[in-house]
Amino acid sequence: MAGPLIADQRAAARGQRIYAMLLAVTAGVIMVIPAFGSNYTKTFVMQGLMSCALAGSWNLISGFTGYVSFGHAAFFGIGSYAAGIAIVHGGIPAPLAIAIAGAAAAAVGLTFGYPALRLRGPYFAVGMLGVAEAIRVAVTVAEPVTGGGKGLVLPPEDVLDAAYYAMLAVVTTTVLVTYRVATLPVGLRLLAIREDEVAAEMNGIQVTRLKLGAFAVSALFAGLAGGIYAWQISYIDPGTVFAGSLTVRAIAMTMLGGQGTVFGPVVGSILLSGISEALWTRFPFIHTALSGVLIVAIVLFLPGGITQFLQNRGWIPRSRRL
Amino acid sequence: MNTRSRRSILAGLPASIGLAGLALSACGGSEGSSAAPAAGGAPAAGAAPKGAPVKIGASVSTTGSNGKTGQYQVEAYQLWAEQINTRGGLLGRPVEMVILDDQSDPTVGTKLYEKLINEDKVDLVLGPYSSGVTQAVSTVTEKYKYPLLSAGASASDIWKRNYKYVFGVYSVAESYFYGVIDLAKKSGYQTIAIVNEDTVFPKATAAGTAEYARKQGMRIVFQEQYPTKVTDLSSLITKVKAAKPEVLVGGSYQPDSVLLTRQAKELDLNVKMLGFSVGAAMPEFGEGLGKDADFVFGPSMWEPSLKTKGNTEFFDTYKKKWNREPDYHSATGFAGGQILEAAVGKAKSLDREKIREALATLEIETVLPGKYKVDDTGTQTAHIPVVIQWQGKDKPVIGPDSMANGKPKLPMPEWKARA
Repeated sequence: MAGPLIADQRAAARGQRIYAMLLAVTAGVIMVIPAFGSNYTKTFVMQGLMSCALAGSWNLISGFTGYVSFGHAAFFGIGSYAAGIAIVHGGIPAPLAIAIAGAAAAAVGLTFGYPALRLRGPYFAVGMLGVAEAIRVAVTVAEPVTGGGKGLVLPPEDVLDAAYYAMLAVVTTTVLVTYRVATLPVGLRLLAIREDEVAAEMNGIQVTRLKLGAFAVSALFAGLAGGIYAWQISYIDPGTVFAGSLTVRAIAMTMLGGQGTVFGPVVGSILLSGISEALWTRFPFIHTALSGVLIVAIVLFLPGGITQFLQNRGWIPRSRRL
Repeated sequence: MNTRSRRSILAGLPASIGLAGLALSACGGSEGSSAAPAAGGAPAAGAAPKGAPVKIGASVSTTGSNGKTGQYQVEAYQLWAEQINTRGGLLGRPVEMVILDDQSDPTVGTKLYEKLINEDKVDLVLGPYSSGVTQAVSTVTEKYKYPLLSAGASASDIWKRNYKYVFGVYSVAESYFYGVIDLAKKSGYQTIAIVNEDTVFPKATAAGTAEYARKQGMRIVFQEQYPTKVTDLSSLITKVKAAKPEVLVGGSYQPDSVLLTRQAKELDLNVKMLGFSVGAAMPEFGEGLGKDADFVFGPSMWEPSLKTKGNTEFFDTYKKKWNREPDYHSATGFAGGQILEAAVGKAKSLDREKIREALATLEIETVLPGKYKVDDTGTQTAHIPVVIQWQGKDKPVIGPDSMANGKPKLPMPEWKARA
């Protein structure tokens, strides 16, 4: 019996090396794109990175604790508007404005998380949907500050390269934090909440503090991404930055890659952005339909995501580092 | 209990995502991506175009919330390209359109103009549809110094940023309802209610209408906004009803103008004059509402019945090519092409700086009423919007007087009194 088992482990270890290599190559390509790629390539990859940051951020709260947030776009939108307002009304330099964006989103995450995280299951999911909608309406009504539905016009600057690396930094940090969370006991505690919150609490896990912490960190990253987005695109309006489709994309990407894993959101966002862009260039007028079919197929046939699929096949080890 | 509920939602998640994916994709599509140079069918007025094609790029919403309206603009761009090729092309070279779909999303729009300029290496661009997308996209075209004719957007904010490369094709949103207000005033109505969707263009329309109505001495008895993609406006209509206005005006797009009319009937909201932007001027409004469309007023940037330069030919060729009548969004798109053509002709080259110069100083007639002429900011100043009213299957132009070919029917009868 020992023979095949060792062979399996070897195969899995080899799979892990290939997996790691692929990710490293992708990271390398993404690093050097600004030096060689056209502005379109940069824009495309940057918007992919933005989705990746959102997916990673969603994964931190929903993938690990099972508190499925259907309102994650709220934090992205708050980040966008916090940065936009800081730049337009405060004349604050962009890096500081983006930091403010992250802080604002985290603060709102804490404020709403405190009551909202007491809701469980579908109640939380729907609650977050309501929170996102309420914030969107508030931003729309607060016209003197936010420009309301007319949107907010930031001073246009050509900052594509800087924004690109900033977005990359947010993604990298999100992955590093997720890696730390997944490999430290805190990750196990979060997963314990997902599996059985009452049992976790009975075992002495401080569930409220943990959930709130995960939620705030998650909101922070979404807010940073929103801030960078606003800075780069220089025009934001509530309909775009609070769009439900942002949340749906983040969820779809995370589910495709594998929720509650370290690299799941990364793998998912690379695949989904890549696929939708490829479909889009080949089939310009039916790509949305094709993407829809594809998403349905993925959730039907790969419900545990790619990570779990590879693990079930024994192609990569069942390690929390992945 | 709790565990089970958590698990069940996790289990249900894939299905809901799938549904959301389907919903996102269910927004329709269309045929044909780019108009190839016309295969010399009609006898050419000029010599057949020769040489490398002039690539003209545009991204227009043909899916998403503004897909229906955007489609008209795409068809007009393609028709214009086809016609210019039978006329001898642009500077003697054939025109090749590269048309993409931004899904009614400004983020996608900016990405696509980056693509058009950097990857497809288009020589010139034409504008997208909707003010929101144009706001975002004009930042990109400004960066690359590509002149942008805003053939599908008119919120005046676009021209308040000191941009040098964006030019208006038709009147700013603020002035849309001037004609309707004038008529209301003339008919002796004193009170008005204004509702609008809370996005760039409808807001601008509502703000301009409110200001003008006040200036004309009318009293605004109710003013409120509603969110985009709204599916129920009954509470809003109930509030309008309580305010008892004589005139109700909606700063709207196509779907919400239909919804407002339908629910006004359901809730028996009776006003003497009812008007909507965008939607009311579209053929779909009459098709979708039938007799309920009757008596509704709307500002139109163009009408088939107008005697503008080349209008009959435009209408006929459009109908022949696309098997449906153009609406004003087709005409503004077509005018965008005509203006670009004239500017290139004046500049005598594809030099975008020279074309920008030409666009800033040009004064020409297009299929649109009035003229093309912009001020220092690029804002359109010489186009004249008209007012239409649905009367049976027709929507005659009832103002301004110089262009009218019908008489307004007032007041709108009560819903209950209508068959």
